[in-house]
Parts: sequence; structure tokens; C-alpha cells
Amino acid sequence: MADTPTLLTGETKAGDWRNYERVILPPIKDLHKIEVYEDHGGYDALRAVVKDGKFDPKGLTDEVKASGLRGRGGAGFSTGLKWSFMPPVDPEKPRYLCCNGDESEPGTFKDRQIFEYNPHLMIEGIVLACYAMTIKTCYLYIRGEYIDYVHHVQKAVDEAYAKGYVGKNVLGTDFSTDIVVHWGAGAYICGEETSLMNSLEGKRAYPRIKPPFPAQAGCWGMPTTINNVETLADVPLIVNRGAEWFASIGPEKHTGPVLYGISGHVNRPGVYEYPTGMLITDLLEIAGGARGGKRIKAVVPGGSSTPPLTWDMAEPATMDAETLREAGSSMGTAGLCFLDEDTDMVSFTRRIAHFYHHESCGQCTPCRDGTGWLEKLLTRIDEGEGYTRDLGLLLELCDQMEGRTVCALADAAAWPVRWGIRRFRDEFEAKCKAAAFAGASLGDGSALETGELTPTGTPTT
Amino acid sequence: MPQVFIDGQPYEFEEGGKLLQFCLDQGIEIPHFCYHPALSVPANCRQCQVKAGLPARDRATGELVTDENGLPVINYFPKPQTSCSLDLVDGMVVHTQYDSEEVAAIQADNLEMMLINHPLDCPICDQAGQCPLQNQAYKYGPEGSRFEFEKVHKPKRVQLGPNVVLDAERCINCTRCTRFTAEVTESHQLSIVNRGDKNYPMTAPGQILDDPYSMNVCDLCPVGALTEDYFRFKARVWEMSKTPSVSDFGAKGINVDYWVRDNQILRITPRANLDVNEYWMPDAARLVYERYNENRLQGARVNGAAVAWETAYDEAARVLKDADGSVLFLGSAWATVEDNYLLTKLADTVGGEVLGYIPYHEEGRGDGWLISDDRAPNAQGCERLGIRALDASLLQSKLAGASVLYVLDDDPVAAGVLSGADLEGVTVILHASHATNETLPHAAVAFPAAMCVETIGTYVNEAGRAQRLRPAKMIRSMNRSLMMAMGTGQSRIDRGGTPFDRWHDVTNKVDCLPGWTVIPELADRLGRPMHYKGPERVMDELAETNPAFTGATYPAMDLLGVALEDIGEPA
Ligand SMILES: Cc1cc2nc3c(=O)[nH]c(=O)nc-3n(C[C@H](O)[C@H](O)[C@H](O)COP(=O)(O)O)c2cc1C
Ligand code: SF4
Ligand code: SF4
Ligand code: FES
Repeated sequence: MADTPTLLTGETKAGDWRNYERVILPPIKDLHKIEVYEDHGGYDALRAVVKDGKFDPKGLTDEVKASGLRGRGGAGFSTGLKWSFMPPVDPEKPRYLCCNGDESEPGTFKDRQIFEYNPHLMIEGIVLACYAMTIKTCYLYIRGEYIDYVHHVQKAVDEAYAKGYVGKNVLGTDFSTDIVVHWGAGAYICGEETSLMNSLEGKRAYPRIKPPFPAQAGCWGMPTTINNVETLADVPLIVNRGAEWFASIGPEKHTGPVLYGISGHVNRPGVYEYPTGMLITDLLEIAGGARGGKRIKAVVPGGSSTPPLTWDMAEPATMDAETLREAGSSMGTAGLCFLDEDTDMVSFTRRIAHFYHHESCGQCTPCRDGTGWLEKLLTRIDEGEGYTRDLGLLLELCDQMEGRTVCALADAAAWPVRWGIRRFRDEFEAKCKAAAFAGASLGDGSALETGELTPTGTPTT
Repeated sequence: MPQVFIDGQPYEFEEGGKLLQFCLDQGIEIPHFCYHPALSVPANCRQCQVKAGLPARDRATGELVTDENGLPVINYFPKPQTSCSLDLVDGMVVHTQYDSEEVAAIQADNLEMMLINHPLDCPICDQAGQCPLQNQAYKYGPEGSRFEFEKVHKPKRVQLGPNVVLDAERCINCTRCTRFTAEVTESHQLSIVNRGDKNYPMTAPGQILDDPYSMNVCDLCPVGALTEDYFRFKARVWEMSKTPSVSDFGAKGINVDYWVRDNQILRITPRANLDVNEYWMPDAARLVYERYNENRLQGARVNGAAVAWETAYDEAARVLKDADGSVLFLGSAWATVEDNYLLTKLADTVGGEVLGYIPYHEEGRGDGWLISDDRAPNAQGCERLGIRALDASLLQSKLAGASVLYVLDDDPVAAGVLSGADLEGVTVILHASHATNETLPHAAVAFPAAMCVETIGTYVNEAGRAQRLRPAKMIRSMNRSLMMAMGTGQSRIDRGGTPFDRWHDVTNKVDCLPGWTVIPELADRLGRPMHYKGPERVMDELAETNPAFTGATYPAMDLLGVALEDIGEPA
């Protein structure tokens, strides 16, 4: 690492962001109405590709690859690359696209803005993606609690059907594709890609083991690609303005416009569209600064599962995958939560642990039982009944959960706890009783270690 | 052949398998819960994790990359892998808990998690003693628990249906039960409800688990969460012996284990035989267990009066010798091949005729799977001996000129082929297992018959598979053959009994005998002794002399049976 220059320069990688013009959520009144959308160039990209042959399917995939677009659903995987994993078309096998609108990660509320203000951009993106992968059906899976958006989006889809942008013979060509709006089953886990597919199939939303990957066997065992709402909404922009334009926004390895969902102790929480690579400090400024003039102590940069950063760590960091990795967290869904100096990090961590405990699907042993154990320990500490040695146990439990389960929820549950304790240990210790066990009085700090619980034994065989 | 290296040992494998099953086949135990060979692989218990890697290959040339010692460089998967779902790949290197402390620790960690919300009520749990969780926790688990909180509470004593009771707190959520109803019976009656550590299997609201195969979920359940209603709290598993044998419930020849304490059958569970019943059996075939314990006919009788067995033999021999009309014999689809065969020999001795066996075939009774149209277990065995399904009108017409009717293990009156009045003119010699036998009041001589759980013998199922019966419980007068066969194939602790076994408790030993003991006694008295050292020799002779039984020796049949030559439709 010594010879790689640090990305934590404290300088923005978003270029001239102060003059940035919004493209995903442009300031246009009634843009959700198809006529308004059309008046502003809506469905031009679709026409150019499907009708005028601007790209063939492979060409479109390559264009998306060249744009550097990375998934906005959390994992940040290259979208063009993902599309290219789809096997060659087999006329015997239907293929599916899933548009993931389950949006349930705490601190993440950006897809709903697209549903509400610019649904046609997403619809156009969906049809383009279907074209790129020769897919005839897209399931648009919308979070169960977003009841109003389900209706709102359905209306937009109906309009697009009526105008011939979706359905049989899109724009009079022989390309046809359908969009089915699916009302989600109301659980966080339904957003995990394979779980979403089970849910769609009417099964219990248990994530599936991989391999096989969705491109090999997804919905109903057929080749499937799944993308986040925002990811697909970026596609018409890439077609209209070109991969080069998209790639020129933000840092080289993580490009394009992003919807930052800003929450926490700021004056103007909300969704803000800016390039990738924004300084966290600039985003704080955009959100109106800390509430009540307080000092910000911590930032969770990408949704509740991403490791919290202390303010010192966050200050030089920008919002792109590479820089955040170096800073010690990750981009996730770009949902930032700012926490001010009055925040009790123990309570905060406990609340997050509660969420993952509540949302674990319960399939895997380490996640099912580990999430509950984490919450119980954190609750005890938060209520002043915990012991210093509980912190060591918490860290060990994180080790026992991470990387050992079917899906990433267990990791998502462990990270905030692990990094919360590592980075805010003083606060945790301050809430703990110093004794290793109730009633045990220890003279000095070193004796704390002696009160260990039974260690996990190794088998005698 | 491709090779995989497990704990440093090379093993050759056939393409297409998964690591866990391969290890189990090689005798390498890896702890596991959710995996079952007949069900899909969800890899959800996470218990079977191992460390695995593949040999590195040069991207350009595809050649194996070697280190300075010329050994292949292994790229290990960054995360531990669940062996149940891991495809075997040529050159794969695997480290199990036996040679990797890291893997052992991962498995122990997993068990620690599994146990934090498990009630650990083994002392009152029916599964204790045969519990994969208990066994594997002792072998691979941590030495203690660091969990200091109240465990999650869930419903207990839930009657899921007529035959299955759920204790949701014990459930480790392996989903074997729900996969069984989804994938095997497709009744979809069970599903996991709730999320996270609150989840457990349940029926849909207003529905019950009345799948005719429901109790298989109790066998599948790796803990005591699902138990058979009829067996709950009846006996600890270590107090019972478990004998591998065959069910007499219908002609499928379902392979079973009979669980016995104090010479009573307390429980019947399926025994895996992929050629017959796979891992399953219908509930109805288990619920017959009381038949073997209750209402049994005890002690030989002459004209309804209890007599010594010797007296009954003498009387039966006298009747047969003195017969002044024809002597008719009925074989039995409930009796073994051996007994039916000896019956044909006895008939030859006295110049009598074996008219057939009473058929119990009812069109449409079966379910096309493990419940057969044929209620009796051995019609096919009779057919192969040349004994045909009885024509009731033929029997009635022949009865007019007959003086003796000899019936092996059956009840013609209850079966409706004869009435009491039909039997008025003939002397009846009857082998009967139950005191409730409706032909019994008409019998001059009655021999209490050992049932399939007490005898040694062979049934041939409707598909032509010859399978062995082993004695699971003792009868009053054990002979040398039964003593020798008792306990063969039984679970280790039961060999020779345990201090808890009241094998010698005389109250539950039925005073009955197998046909292969009684018939030779009569043959002796009729001057044509049968020189068999037990039923095994009878079968040896049949396997040798009758092409319909070629290959069906006891050692060949062993635990899984022998598929016999197709003999075509009976003439
Ligand atoms: C527990 C869990 C929950 C998830 N929830 C969502 C979600 O609500 N929305 C979403 O787009 N992706 C979610 N994801 C990520 C998806 O699995 C998947 O990576 C994503 O939809 C892919 O789209 P992208 O490549 O466009 O980002 C979740 C992942 C996990 C492990
Ligand atoms: S990690 Fe948790 S949420 Fe994901 S499949 Fe396993 S139990 Fe379910
Ligand atoms: S009840 Fe038993 S079989 Fe069913 S999920 Fe629970 S542990 Fe598994
Ligand atoms: S047996 Fe492999 S995960 Fe359960």
C-alpha cells in the first residue's frame, strides 16, 4: 500500500459540482407525466436504439460497460459486465430482468424519488436493458410498504404501454417487452437479489445459494439479470449523452450521477443528485450543515450496513467505492447518515442491530441466532448492564457471522457492530461495568481479561 | 479419473457429485443438518463448512501453477464453503475439521449459535439419544456457551395434525420438513413462518398436517421439534432395540426398523432402501404397531381348550393321518415364503391340495406410491411357489367332499371367503396370530402364529423383490434359529440387551411359534421328517431348486433384498 498514493486527499473528485445540472431528477414540473417527459426528450434514447439502430444489443451492453456505470443497489458491480454474463439467447428459455425497487436499507430513500418524480426514466432504462439482453419480461419489484408508488408507477407503465414504448412491438419494431409491476412482500430481505426472485415466484423470500448465479438460473430457473432502479434509470442518460459523458462525471473508477440520500442530524435532510466522488464535507454543507450548530461525530456513508466513520476519517473522504474502501467503509447505497456529537453510539449501534435482528430471514444459523445475540448484548450495554468483556464477545460474534452465510445480511449486521466498537470503543466502554462478572471486583484493568467466558472450544475428535 | 484431496489424501470421484455426500460415502464424517440426499440443497444450516481451494492455473496457457518445490499452488476460496453444496472439481483441495483447526473452530462456532436458542431440554426430549444435534454438538461443538440471556420462546406442544406434534423451540430451522412436503409429497402443508430467530414450521391458518406421509418429517427432523404423536414420551431410544426388517403393511415391502422394549413393538420407522421405499413410509404403516402387541393368541388349543404344544401337534397329526376325505390347504399371503413352501411339502406328504391363498388385493386402495392395492405382504411369494389367488367358489365346492381344512396364518371367515356354517362338516387346523381371529372358534386345532416381527423368513414384494424378516421381539419359546437371528443387525447397544431391556420379561413374550417350527413337527409325526436346520436352509433349497427364487439366499438378501427374475403373469 505504501507506494499507492492515498485517495483520502480531502479534495473533491466530483469536479465542478457546484454547477452540476441534475439529470436523474431534473427540476422539471410534472415530469412523471409522459407528455412532459416526452417534451423533454423522453424516450428519445429508446427510439434511437430500438428503432433507429443506434446500438445493437451487444453494442448497447458495451456502451454501458464503457460508461463505467456501477450498480446503485449496494454492491457497486459493473452493470455492463453483469449484462454480458447473460448466456446466449436460447429460444426454449425465457429470460428475465428484475428491477429491484425493494429499497429497505435504513438510510436509503432514493429509488422512491425516481418512482415519484421521474418514473419514465426508469421505464425507458428498463426497456433499453431488455433490448440489450434480449429480454421479453421485466419484473419491477417495488417495496411492499410503497403502496402509493406501486399505483403511481403502474400508472406510468400503463401510459408507456399506451404510447407503444412498452409491450408488443415497441415503437412499431419487432422488439417486444413487458413490464410487470410486482408489489413486494414487505421484508428487507426481499431486496436481496435471489430472495427477490423467490418472493416473485410466490415462495418464501429466502435467499438462494450461489452458484448458480441469476444469469445462469434466476427467476423460475431461467437466465435473469437484476438491477437497482437507479442503475436502470442511468441507462437512457448514457444512450443520450454517450458513455464518454457519463464516464467523465466523478472519479474514473466510479462514475456518473448519484442520488445521495442524506439523513441524520443535518438541517436539510433529503435526496441530492450530484456526481460520484463528492466530499462528505461538501455533502454536509449541501444538507445545510449540522443541526443546531453541533459538531458531527460520525458518518455512516452508504446505508446502515456500511461501517460508520469517525468525523476524522470522513473528512478527507469522497463518495466513491475506492476512496471509501480506503477510508474504511463502503459506498453502499450512498445513503449518508450524519451523527452529531450528542449521539450515543451505543444506542445507535443497538438500533441498527435491532433492525438486522428483526429482518434476518432466519435461514442461516449464524445470522438467525447471531443477530439476536448481538442485539441482546448491545441492549444490555446500552442499559448500563453490560460488562467490558461483552465488547470482546461482540467482536468475536461478528467473526462468527461474517462470510459464513448464504447472503450478505449477516455481514451487514456484523459490520456496524464491529466498526462501531472498534471506532467508538471509549463510548462503549464508558457504558460498561468494569467487572468481568456481576459482583466480581477487579483491582486493576489488566484483571479484566481474566473474567473471560468459556471460550469456544475446539472439538476433541 | 478426477481426484480430490481431502485432508491430504487423494480420492478419485465420479463427476457430478457434491463434496459432503462424497465425504460421507468415503466414511469421512462432516457435521451437517439441513442436507438430506433426497431433498434439495439449501445450505442453510451452515454446519458443513470446510476450507476448499482449487489449483491455480496460468491464465494464458491453462497450465497448473507450481511453487518452488514443484507443488501445485492452491487458490483457496476466500470464505469457508458449505460442503453440501460444493461441486467436486478435479484437483480440489479440501481441509475438514480433522486437519484444520480453523474449520473445526468454524463448525464449533456454528454449533454455539445453533444452541443459544435451543432449549437444551434433552432430558425430556424424545429425540435424545438419536439426535443429530446432540451427537454433533458433543463431537464438534464448543465446550460451553457464552450466551447469558433468556432464549427465544416459541409455541410448544402444537398438534400440527393427527400424527405430528411440534415443539417450535427445539427447531433449528433446517427446513427439511418443509422441503419434504414441498418436494416429496408435494402437499405443501408445512411452511416456515415468521423471520429470524422467531421462525418455525407451521401449517397455513386453518389447515392441518394430514398428509398421509406426515410422520416422515419426524424422522427427517434433526432435533426433537417434530415428534410422532403416538410415540411421544413412550420410551427413551436407548431403552429400545431397533431391528432392521420389513413391514407387513401391504405388498410394497417397505423396509423398516422395529423399535422394541420389553418385547413390545413401540415404534416403527422407515429404513432406507433406494430400490423400495427410499427413505419414507406412510403413516398408516407405522400405526399398525399395536397389532403386534395386543390381542395375540397365546398357547396351542385343541377344540378351544388350552393344551401343551406337543398335544396339539399329536392331535393335528392324527387328524391329518385319519382324514377320510380330501385334505385342503390354504397358503397365506401373510405368511413367509418359507412357511408357505413347507406347507406345500406337508400337503404332498398327506396327498392334500393347496387350493391357493386368500387375496387381499383391492383395486384403488393404493396411492400409486407406498400404499399398495394389496394389503398383504407376500402374495407374490405365494405366486412364485405356485400358490394362486384363491377362488372362493372353488373352495366352497371342494369343501363339500373334504374332511380337513388346514389354514396357514389367515382368517377365511373374516376375509369373507367362508362362513361359519361352511366349516361345520370339516375339521379345521389353523395357524392364527390373534385371539380375535373369526375362524378360530371353528378350529379343532389352533397354533398361535408368530408374526413378521417375531419370525425369520422372506417376503417377496409386488415388484418381485425378496426381502428378509428378522425377529425384533422374543416369543415364549425361543429356539436356536431365533436366538441366533435375534440382534443381528441391531444397533450396537442392544446386542445382547442392555440393563434396561427386560428381554426376559415373560409377560410380553407371546406364546406362539413360527410355521417353520410347527409344520416340521407335524411332518415328523406323519413319518416324513423335514430335515432343515432352520428357515435359512429352507430358503437355500428354494434358491437352488426353484428358478423363481434364484439368488434369494439370506446372505444375498441381507438388509436390502434381492430383485428376483421376472416370472411373468401367473398362468
Ligand atoms: C440483505 C440485502 C438487501 C438488499 N436490498 C436491496 C434493495 O432493497 N434494493 C436494491 O436495489 N438492492 C438490494 N440489495 C442488493 C441486491 O442484492 C443486488 O445486488 C442489486 O439489486 C443489484 O443491482 P445493481 O447491480 O444495480 O446494484 C440487497 C442486498 C442484500 C444482501
Ligand atoms: S444471511 Fe441471514 S438473511 Fe441472508 S440468507 Fe442467511 S439467514 Fe437469511
Ligand atoms: S421442525 Fe425439524 S425438520 Fe423442520 S425445520 Fe425445524 S429442525 Fe428442521
Ligand atoms: S448441511 Fe451444508 S449447510 Fe446444512
